[in-house]
Amino acid sequence: MNNNVVVQLINVGKKYGEKQLFQGINQVIKPGQCLAITGPNGSGKSTLLKMIAGVSKPSTGLICIGCGDRFFQHEESVGYMGMVSPEIVFYHAMTGIENLVFLSRCRGVACSLQYASELCATVGLNEYSNKQLSMYSTGMKQRLKFAIMLAIQPSLWLLDEPSSNLDGKGKEIMGVIIDTALKQMATVIVATNECWEMEYASAQITLA
Amino acid sequence: MPVHKLPLREAVWLVFSKDLLCEFRNRYAISALIMFALVTLSSISMTIGAVMLSDELTAVLLWIIIFFCAMAGLSRAFVQEQEAGTLFTLQIYLQSQAVIFGKMLFNIVLLMGLTVFIILLFILFLNVDFSLWKIFFVILVCGDIGIGAVATLTAAMVARAQGQHCLFTVLTFPILLPQFLGAIHATATVLGGNMPSVSQFIFMAGYDAVIISGSYILFEYLWYD
Repeated sequence: MNNNVVVQLINVGKKYGEKQLFQGINQVIKPGQCLAITGPNGSGKSTLLKMIAGVSKPSTGLICIGCGDRFFQHEESVGYMGMVSPEIVFYHAMTGIENLVFLSRCRGVACSLQYASELCATVGLNEYSNKQLSMYSTGMKQRLKFAIMLAIQPSLWLLDEPSSNLDGKGKEIMGVIIDTALKQMATVIVATNECWEMEYASAQITLA
Repeated sequence: MPVHKLPLREAVWLVFSKDLLCEFRNRYAISALIMFALVTLSSISMTIGAVMLSDELTAVLLWIIIFFCAMAGLSRAFVQEQEAGTLFTLQIYLQSQAVIFGKMLFNIVLLMGLTVFIILLFILFLNVDFSLWKIFFVILVCGDIGIGAVATLTAAMVARAQGQHCLFTVLTFPILLPQFLGAIHATATVLGGNMPSVSQFIFMAGYDAVIISGSYILFEYLWYD
């Protein structure tokens, strides 16, 4: 993991048809920092995260992801990021471990079955790791998303409502994982309206 | 530590293996395709009885069955991902070229397996003699690559649209027509016991190369917003 990733948002705006979702966002997020994006439903929190992830383009402005003086091309920046989002859906015909190994290998991380099993145990999925995803509850799928983040150890963490569907123990595990990532100088951006998730943040963007 | 970038070849293989595993467990596409081929050919066989079809009609029949099997099953490569919501996951975790070529490889392999099955049915039900089988095999491979490649690209184009299945066939047929006609003519020639001209092979292979190159260039525009 190269934990020196800087994200720069320069005058970023998004417009859908006639509706201006947000505009003029300027922010720099450095390694070891956490940015919280807050705002009511429909204000564009998830859209802004998707724009940083590169799957959606800003209508105005520029999003630069880089390391030192060098900025990455889109395909390269994808290799540095990991995302936890309600829109990340796993393959129901595959088991938890198979999903974990597949997505880790997609990122070039050689994740063995043994290691995948250990990561599942870390997030509290040890009994279900060899069961197909169709057997998982929404909270268990959310835990699996964090197991994948642990496997790929991204430099840039994009978290969209990370504690949604998690029980008390799940939230505790998630808190430890985010805390550890920040200590390892990962760059973390979290879209949330939960006060306790905002506590990790050193900067905040509030969308109207 | 530097970020590991998965070589394209390995990423393509990962997507192919994942699709194969999911298809093996669900068997949605393969069951539908096999049933379609079986019902069509057995109906024709029972209708015409012992009447021998001309070479041209046999060739047309073969490629029409392959085409409609492709239309029935190959759009699933992207449509199923869209319906299940997993398309976004692939966008986040994989390079775009790996997705299109992994799915293209899966569709071509699926279509080739199905073609072998259809050929066996032709021999069984219609008593067709494929004496120039090596040349015939090359025609089938070129034709299947063309159909599989075009079907994968158009499936990617229509995945987010409404009325995907109708749109898929409407879009695929005109793009595929040159290869379709070329494959029918070459097959009819082989069934007549003659060798197709070299230009026919060059055309079919060239068509495949153009479609695969086009997919390489165009897919990124389809993949991201």
